[in-house]
Amino acid sequence: MNFSGIFDVIVVGGGHAGTEAALVSARAGCKTLLLSHNIETLGQMSCNPSIGGIGKGHLVREIDALGGAMALAADESGIQFRILNSSKGSAVRATRAQADRLLYKQAIRRRLENQENLWLFQQAVDDVLIDQERVYGVVTNLGLRFSAKTIVLTAGTFLSGLIHVGMSNYPAGRAGDPPSIMLANKLRDLNLPVGRLKTGTPPRIDGRSIDYSSITEQPGDNPVPVFSFMGSSTLHPKQVSCWITETNQKTHEIIRKGLDRSPLYTGVIKGVGPRYCPSIEDKIHRFSDKPSHQIYLEPEGLTTNEIYPNGISTSLPFDVQVDLVRSMKGLENAHIIRPGYSIEYDYYNPHGLKNSLESKYIGGLFFAGQINGTTGYEEAAAQGLLAGLNAALQVKGCDSWSPLRNEAYLGVMVDDLITHGVTEPYRMFTSRAEYRLQLREDNADLRLTEIGRKFGIVDEQRWSAFEKKREAITKEQERLKNTWVNPRILPAEISIEVLGAPIEREYSLLELLRRPGVDYSGLMTLPEAYTGEIDAKVAEQVEIQAKYQGYIERQHTEILRSNQHETFELPSDIDYFLVRGLSIEVQQKLNKYKPQTIGQAARISGITPAAISLLLVYIKKGFNEEIQKSV
Amino acid sequence: MSQLNADTIVAISTAQGRGAIGVIRISGILSKTIAVEILGKVPESKVANYSNFLDINGSILDKGIAIFFPTPHSYTGEDILELQGHGGIAIQKILIDRCLTLGARLAEPGEFTLRAFLNNKLDLVQAEGIADLIEANTTEAARSSIRSLTGEFSLQIRSLLNDLINLRVLVESILDFPEEDLDQINTQHLLFLLNNLQQCLQRVLDQSKQGSLLREGAHIAIAGQTNVGKSSLLNRIAGDDIALVSDIHGTTRDVIKQDIQIKGVTLHFFDTAGLRNTDDPIELMGIQRAKQMISKSDLVLLIIDASLGLMINDVDILQNIPDGIPRLIVHNKSDLISLEQSKSSDDNHVFVSAKTGAGVDHLLNVILKLVGWRDLESGCFMARERHLIALEQARKHFENASNVICNIEFFAEELRSSQQALNQITGEYTSDDLLGEIFIKFCIGK
Repeated sequence: MNFSGIFDVIVVGGGHAGTEAALVSARAGCKTLLLSHNIETLGQMSCNPSIGGIGKGHLVREIDALGGAMALAADESGIQFRILNSSKGSAVRATRAQADRLLYKQAIRRRLENQENLWLFQQAVDDVLIDQERVYGVVTNLGLRFSAKTIVLTAGTFLSGLIHVGMSNYPAGRAGDPPSIMLANKLRDLNLPVGRLKTGTPPRIDGRSIDYSSITEQPGDNPVPVFSFMGSSTLHPKQVSCWITETNQKTHEIIRKGLDRSPLYTGVIKGVGPRYCPSIEDKIHRFSDKPSHQIYLEPEGLTTNEIYPNGISTSLPFDVQVDLVRSMKGLENAHIIRPGYSIEYDYYNPHGLKNSLESKYIGGLFFAGQINGTTGYEEAAAQGLLAGLNAALQVKGCDSWSPLRNEAYLGVMVDDLITHGVTEPYRMFTSRAEYRLQLREDNADLRLTEIGRKFGIVDEQRWSAFEKKREAITKEQERLKNTWVNPRILPAEISIEVLGAPIEREYSLLELLRRPGVDYSGLMTLPEAYTGEIDAKVAEQVEIQAKYQGYIERQHTEILRSNQHETFELPSDIDYFLVRGLSIEVQQKLNKYKPQTIGQAARISGITPAAISLLLVYIKKGFNEEIQKSV
Repeated sequence: MSQLNADTIVAISTAQGRGAIGVIRISGILSKTIAVEILGKVPESKVANYSNFLDINGSILDKGIAIFFPTPHSYTGEDILELQGHGGIAIQKILIDRCLTLGARLAEPGEFTLRAFLNNKLDLVQAEGIADLIEANTTEAARSSIRSLTGEFSLQIRSLLNDLINLRVLVESILDFPEEDLDQINTQHLLFLLNNLQQCLQRVLDQSKQGSLLREGAHIAIAGQTNVGKSSLLNRIAGDDIALVSDIHGTTRDVIKQDIQIKGVTLHFFDTAGLRNTDDPIELMGIQRAKQMISKSDLVLLIIDASLGLMINDVDILQNIPDGIPRLIVHNKSDLISLEQSKSSDDNHVFVSAKTGAGVDHLLNVILKLVGWRDLESGCFMARERHLIALEQARKHFENASNVICNIEFFAEELRSSQQALNQITGEYTSDDLLGEIFIKFCIGK
């Protein structure tokens, strides 16, 4: 049966990538359909219900700045909030929220159901319809056909999922869901670059069986942090604590004895797991001299007793899981509610994608989330937002958009994915961003909200709040720049107290704020500096920008340099074997990656500056020849 | 349209170290800014302007001709500034350094031509040659790159890089993994490691003989008994009467310094007082000073009278030269001995005549060789020069890092920049490589 009408955008999958993709496309004004095999699991946090952390929190803020749902949903469902790295500088500070799984799901579901232009439909997708290297629809497991101009595929870990617990394994999706075998087989037929990855979860524990009196409490921050630029702590539900215990020699002994029945160590698992976030058996094996590992006991919600023991992800047999859990302090009588497992799944190597996340081979087909080999809700949601936006832009006949590496973590991630491909699950870290000092949580709105507004995905309310804030920042910066402090008027003792030393000449307040150790509130105690209360967020931003200005200016040249070839497009049909002077290795790499621009080509590993020069000459020569022909 | 405009490049465009004039060419958007900084103004377009070349403090480095070619009417199609100054490498290097500080970067081989082509300044026929040029230069650069270098220099660079990576692993894991129970690392420890790095880098820079030769030149003491013609020889080398010369023993009582540039290396000659037993207090002071100079020099030239040969006093002088300082015995007044005898020069003995100038060129070549100069092809020279610039940049970032230790993100940024500088020598080291190192070292991940 053909479903009547044509959608602009169909999103396949209702995880974190799928929901942001569907929301953004609908916000952009496109008629959007979200297809999920189970509407009940829309926005499901299938692993640990926590949002944010270093690098990931930065992504959440960027999604928020572009009008996405994740940060507000976290504000509405977070039961413990902390700022990580709070003792360090603003660029590496990051928000993390432990969420109530049910509340989070509800927050997402409510947004989906109330979003204009968005339709939900429960059906598993078995086939993607393609004609002449362009998508035109999908077929579901009941044989329903849906037509669309573009499709965003966010099938997560469901593609050919295979779950391992000890030596036994069975096909499955995440957390009790069925796998997508048909779709996976179909995609394999398309000859896209497919690979296999692995991830895992720990066994879950019944909170009532934990002895909290013998372990360490970890309360949230006070005042309670807020995730969204539009959020406030009044959105937060009741706040609770997390807890910390640790493994010991006995735990390690139990694990070592179980290794002969580990699918990881007996070669049953073929997929590649991440080097970070290793399973507990990996940790014990690789870091055998470490006497103990911290394990965080994190509540999964306010209305459940289920506890997520963060740090003991494992695919060891169930009897070993029970013994190792019970060997730890506070968990002596722990009851396991669900066994831990490893899951292997297909992913599509993202070097086959453009920076819009559209496939280089099949027009109108976009990929986002774990299907691209990333890990984490935040990474998935950010890609979903970008893919959904670009699908919508394509429908509207507009150019695609992707932020540059100096504009957003989203830009760093997409660029990493498409220019390096993926060999292990990709997770965001701040050290991946060479312009870390400017990609901060605190300025995500200043970096992106205006762009989002231009695309029509930032609503009126957010836009006016943003404009007000930006204006206030500029105004305050102007004021500080034009307020001068004279050493003859400033009493030495005040100068020493606020600035650490007397000043020798006249300075503007802005200059003084740049000094290490001088903060905004201290500055305001100087005579004539204070002219009235301003918003704390505005003051914070003025202070941070002053502190970072020197470094940001220094990076400016580097950014110009690295972005200079970003707009120099490479035709997609170049056969690099015909480019003179390139080594065979370089030719092969370029043919494999088919970079969209010279800039992307330059970032592929092993591509030398000389190779780029040769490429420039080659392209330019073709260009000249064509001009000569046309004359 | 000029795709490359974001970047400003600079290079010496005349042959290295030879010739009376050295031309430095700058192309790109910063050309005007650089003109203002070095010349005090942007010169009138396409007109030869005689101008002072100024250093950062406004003092005069050199004087010469400056020509400004505005875009698009220039060789590359971009703003070009040409500085034609004196030919010595030292002075050109200072000017290049000045441009680098002002935001330019060293041009890759063939890059000016490449830009000209990309900006439609060359026709297709001319362009055919560019690919060849790039290819040839790449091969040459590869030959002289650090990977093909062996010995102490590359060993030290590698160990330096290793230590830097280890420090970055610590710093980045503090930033990215605060939740992990990593062993507590305090700033004192980080400073200690940084200090080791700085010392290690300084050693590399010091021992990079060629580099320090270019920067500082070599100190050469001229020693010998009285009246063997030391001052005459120095005058002959310098081509100028600077030392007192007479036939009276002991005319030179002070240490006289003369700088001479040969192949881009500055040789600082010190004409020392004749070393002889004397009661004259003023002459004694001169002798004392001569002995000091000798002990600090890179090479000692012992001048003897060729017609008299090595005498007992000369042997005394030789024995007074500290071990480890190379020495060369220069038989002056070769015009007084047989032609056959005067040709028996080797690495330890050179026959010259200050009077006629015979053998002086050979003497200078032997001197260069003894102070460690290798006559390199220009490509290789530039490769070396790049290494030194990279090391120098890294050194600056280390220094900055030590000043921002209280803000660990800035500390990390300086280390990243220093690694980027070293990447120019050692090849790419990506953030993913670093993460890999972190995951090997630390048990990361909840």
